[in-house]
Amino acid sequence: MKLVLLYFLLLKATITSFSGLGSLPMIHSDLVIKHRILTERQLHTAVAAGRSGPGPIGLYVVAVGYAAAGVPGAIAGWLAMVTPAFLILPLLRYASQYAEDPRLKRVIQAVVLSSAGLLLSATIPFAREALEHWWTASLALISFLLTAGTRIDSAWVILASAFLGAISALLMR
Amino acid sequence: MSKTEAPESRPSFWSIFLIFLKAGNLTFGGGDPTMAILQREFCERRHWLTAEQYSLAYSLARVTPGTNVLAFCVAVARMMHGALAAVASVIAASGPSAVLVVWLTVFYQNSSGNPVAMLAVSAVLSAVVGMMLAAAVSLLRPHVKAGKWQRAAVFCASTIILREGFNLSPVQILALAVLGGALWKERA
Repeated sequence: MKLVLLYFLLLKATITSFSGLGSLPMIHSDLVIKHRILTERQLHTAVAAGRSGPGPIGLYVVAVGYAAAGVPGAIAGWLAMVTPAFLILPLLRYASQYAEDPRLKRVIQAVVLSSAGLLLSATIPFAREALEHWWTASLALISFLLTAGTRIDSAWVILASAFLGAISALLMR
Repeated sequence: MSKTEAPESRPSFWSIFLIFLKAGNLTFGGGDPTMAILQREFCERRHWLTAEQYSLAYSLARVTPGTNVLAFCVAVARMMHGALAAVASVIAASGPSAVLVVWLTVFYQNSSGNPVAMLAVSAVLSAVVGMMLAAAVSLLRPHVKAGKWQRAAVFCASTIILREGFNLSPVQILALAVLGGALWKERA
């Protein structure tokens, strides 16, 4: 795949989202469904890699780029992740003028709420693929409860899940 | 130093770079913990940034598309040391962790031959499903807590219906959300 196209597809996703995983539905739609560059599992793995290490949640875009086109793809993903950050510079300049505008606030709230819906929608195919057994469904539920209900670091949840998975594999031998 | 006073000194480029490097790459849990560490380093410990400057950068980062914490880094670096520092801040805050993410992706991809590693990865992928649901809940929670649950329910549910039922693309749905947000006024 052409790197420039990959960059713009990923940028389209990052520039229309307001949170780390908010770009996921667009990436799923473009790279998995429309262009068929990635499989569901590759995208799912990229999200897992992004959540396993330190740094911003949006880093999974780098993993997506890598899965699509190797190291050059990872660089394209990184550039797509950082490019929207510079939009804050013009915002800084005009902040005092528009930051408190009620209509602008309502529009951003609506986009955030819609992003939550898109994220829930994007979770469906992942869940279909990942939750094949009762124990994987239980892990997903525990992960949800821990992540949504406590301040525990997601890296610990990932680590504990990997440990439990490895232990159960050894026990089943 | 009071909230409105000017910063006490102009920091050097490399001292800013090193703090972004440390905060961005050693902090787990996403953007909020990183921004909290940067607040402590820049405002409380070194007084390079006023509380007002921090608040302005924090609130604007929330409304900037993309990864909020990187927008925050760009804003505070620009305030402290100009445009070059703004560029350097995103490189420092995300470059090394991006390399680590690539390494983790390779690790996950190469686990297919090993049954123990495969089950460990399956477990991780299941946990990620829970995390994705939690991420959606965290986007909805502030609106529900603020009593705007009707707005949250309408926008979220209609998005799912438009996506799953009518197969609209995310761009089309977000464009409709912009329109809906501009038109929807809360009762006083």
